[in-house]
This record gives sequence, structure tokens and C-alpha cells, in this order.
Amino acid sequence: MIKDITIGQYFPGNSVIHRLDPRLKIVLIFAYIVAIFFCKNFQSIGLMLLLLFVTVLLSRISLKLIGKSLKPILIIILITSLLQIIYNKNGEVLLEYWKIKITTGGVYTAVFTTIRIAALVLASSMLTYTTSPTMLTDAIERLFSPLKIFNINVHSIAMMMTIALRFIPTLIEEVDKIMSAQKSRGADFESGNLAKRGKALIPIFIPLFINSFRRAYELAFAMECRCYRGGEGRTRLRQMKMALRDYLAFLITTASIAGIFVLNHFFAAVI
Amino acid sequence: MSLIKTENLSYVYSQGSPFQVTALDNISITIEKGEFIGIIGHTGSGKSTLVQHLNGILKPTSGKVFFEGTDIFKDRQTTKNVRFKVGLCFQYPEYQLFENTVYDDIAFGPKNMGLSKDEIDEYVLEAASFVGIKKELLKKSPFELSGGEKRRAAIAGVIAMKPEVLILDEPTAGLDPKGRKRIERMIADYRQATESTVIIVSHSMEDIARTVGKVLVMNHGKAEMFAGVDEVFSKIERLPEIGLDVPSITRIMLRLRSLGYDVRTDIYTVEQAKDELLFLLKERGVL
Repeated sequence: MIKDITIGQYFPGNSVIHRLDPRLKIVLIFAYIVAIFFCKNFQSIGLMLLLLFVTVLLSRISLKLIGKSLKPILIIILITSLLQIIYNKNGEVLLEYWKIKITTGGVYTAVFTTIRIAALVLASSMLTYTTSPTMLTDAIERLFSPLKIFNINVHSIAMMMTIALRFIPTLIEEVDKIMSAQKSRGADFESGNLAKRGKALIPIFIPLFINSFRRAYELAFAMECRCYRGGEGRTRLRQMKMALRDYLAFLITTASIAGIFVLNHFFAAVI
Repeated sequence: MSLIKTENLSYVYSQGSPFQVTALDNISITIEKGEFIGIIGHTGSGKSTLVQHLNGILKPTSGKVFFEGTDIFKDRQTTKNVRFKVGLCFQYPEYQLFENTVYDDIAFGPKNMGLSKDEIDEYVLEAASFVGIKKELLKKSPFELSGGEKRRAAIAGVIAMKPEVLILDEPTAGLDPKGRKRIERMIADYRQATESTVIIVSHSMEDIARTVGKVLVMNHGKAEMFAGVDEVFSKIERLPEIGLDVPSITRIMLRLRSLGYDVRTDIYTVEQAKDELLFLLKERGVL
């Protein structure tokens, strides 16, 4: 049930995409998402889709899983496309029925919005699918380290993020366990009105909170025992270093983004 | 008619995902009324998954579970009722305490059964006396109790439903020897007083062999053996193969045999070992 959500999950692997420098991955995916919105014709957005498709293939994550990650946004895509088709009145009229007028402009915008939303979700899921949470927060810490001059403690924020991410699966497992235990004593979470169901959650949340506090204390003690005292002067086991594959990935992505502007220039804009 | 029966019970975690694991593989067992059963197996052998099927917490991927001849997943009401008849106490149950007082926490199960106030009171007090929780402790918050008391209070919460079958998953895990002994004795007393069926899950043969009558040995989701303690111990050589420890006293007897002494090796209590050794010494004319 709760375990079936794939967005934000990490799928361990050893592909090229998995091994890319996480800092670079974040920057490139951000650039990619911005670039999608600059595409003005099918040629340029085709190029962006090709880039994404190659990335997915290289990551060796099963296409079935990729399809599953798009399922939750299907409704958003459907609604936005429908609104575009109905309300956009640009271009030639394709079909007219009572007050509804479908135009080429509407259809094109609908197709583009669909592709953009799907590519956006897919690109950002590719980031979390192929980067472990610790790598991700490490990279975020590095990328935001210039903020230190504004007296923002980037290290603490990154550490909190790491811990929070680390404990999500633990908490899910714990909720599952507590629910089973209370069900064994006849607790009923599935019937009754809203108030009754809300009240039925008390036997889950009280133990969950108490256990979380206990765990937080234990973790804090364990960290102190290992001499943790913040980010000051702390070195890392895994130094992030750009390798040849990182430069290649950078080159391919920037070339593709440059390609968008070339294609936009040479082919007629449809949107 | 058997009390609990499983028929080709199989369970697969996260089916269809890359994390798919077969936790139970075609298990068919029968448990009779009044039996005292120990389920042992290595970590991850499927012990906990199996007991969660017996009171309908987990639904089998395939196969069936019967309680007194009825399929417990027949409809939702049946499943719900089975939970009161088959009381399951999870591992580390003290982490599931939540009420303001120990009394209220023990009363959670009976309340859900829809009993009257007087009946609840009777059930709670009886359960508390079984586990040795004194009356003045009942008014305290469960979070003020010591570790061992919390564990016993949590077990009382299951006993208070007066189940026909009591299942305890690793009831002594993480306790000191004194706390362990206390719980073992408590279970034995409870069984004698109520004559109910009791199932204990453990990964330690040593803890189980002394008390139970029948042992189910689990290995990689399969029921490896299901027989009386003596019979299981007659196949003692199999235990290390499936990652289980042989009780220390049995190891001594095995060692003696390998040194050339003609002793029985299907021994699992110090009492039995004493008799056997005295017999051996007499035979050799030492005594």
C-alpha cells in the first residue's frame, strides 16, 4: 500500500548514470527542465525526448517502473490537455460543435504540455532513482555551500535532510508494525465515519511519536559517541571528483540545449 | 476437528517489484487444541510472517488458513472475530503501548470486543494477575514502567482478550536472564490455568526445547520439520545446517559421543543429561 509509491525512491545500480557526479546530475537536470520550456517546435522537443530516452536506457532502470512513475500524474496531464484543447482558440479551426471550437493551436499546446509535464516528472525521478539519498544531500550541501557567507548553516540543514530521508522507510515499517499489533487487539481502521476513523489513529500515532523521540535521542548519542560536532573541519570518505564521464555528460547536455535554439531558429514554431 | 490448519500457505512480499521475496513457501500444518508449540528458525526464515497469517493480519498470496474449520478470510467479520480468538503478541510489544494508564492499555482489546464495563474489568484484572502486574501499577502510565514490566503489561493486553490460542513472537527477546525466566514461567502457568493452545516463536532452540511439546522448524520459508521435541532432537545434526544453534547441553553430549562414550545425543535438558551420565558412570562401575 504505502510501499508502492515509487517517486523519490532510489534503485541501487551501477550504471553510468548511477555513477555520475551527483552535483552535476542536479545541475544538468535543472538545466534540462528549464530547457524543455524553451522548445518551440516538434524538432526541438524531439531532441530533448531523445536525450531523456538515452538517459533512461543508460540507467538500466526497467521501463515498466518508469511507466509506473508516470501513472500518478496521468490525471493532471489529462485535465490540463483538455483545458488547452477547449480554451485555446489560436490557429486553424479543426472542428466546431455548438460552443466548442477545437483549433490546431489548442491541439499543439495540449501535446506540448503533456510532453513537458511527463518529461519534467521523468527527469526529476531519474535523479532520485539513480542517486542514493546520502549522495543527494551531500551534493546539495556542496552546491549550496556558498550560502555560508549569509550565515546559513548548510551542513546542518543537509544533515537533517539526510537523517529525515534515511528514516522514511524505517517509519513506514514501524507504522505497519504498530498497525498490525493494534489490529491484533481488534482495532478497526477501515470502517466507521471520519471522526471514528480519526480516533482510531491515536493508538498508532502515540507509539509512533514516542518511538521517534526515543530513536532521535539514541541517534544523537550515537553520533556524539563517534565525535560528531557539526560540519566544521569535517572531511569526507567519498570525495566528489569529476571524471571523464561527467565531462561527457555535461558536453552532451549542453550541446543538446544549444541544439534547441538552433532547431527553434531553423524550423517554424508551432507554439 | 483441528483448531488451526494451513493449506499450501504461501506469501510473497512486494510481488512484482525488484524487491520480491518469498517469505512462506507452501506450508501445510495442523495445530490441535491444547498443544504447546514452538516455532523456531533462523532470522528471515518466515516465522513471524507465518504467525501473522494465523490471526488474519497478513493475507496469503496463495493457500488457505482455517480456524475451527472455517476459512478465516471468508469475509471481513470472520477475520475480525478470529483476531480475538487467536491472540497474537508481536515482537517487542512494549513499543505499542499507548494509553494513559496501564489499565486502559490492557483494556484496549476487551473494549474492542464490545464487552460490558464489568466484564472488561474482570478480564483486565485476570490478565494483570497472570503476568504479575500489581494493582498499584495499573494506575500508572505505561511509560513509567521498567522494561520488563512494560513487556509483561503488553503481553497482558493480548491475554486480556481471553484468546483460545495465544501466540507470542519472541516474548523474551532483549530481556535479562531473570526477566526471561519470569516470562517463561508466566507462560507455563498461564497454559496450565487456562488449558489454552500456546505458540511461541523463537530463534533459540535452547529456550524452546525445555518448555514446549512440539516444534515447527522453519527454514527459508519452508516447514522443515514439525514434530515432537524428541523427534526433532533425534535429527539434531540437521540443525546447524539450517542456521540454528544446538543447546549447549546437547553439544556436550555430542562431544562425549565423538570422544567415544556411548551416550544418547537426543538430550536437551540438564536433567536428562544428569540421568544419562549417572547411568553411564554406573554402567562403567565408577559409581
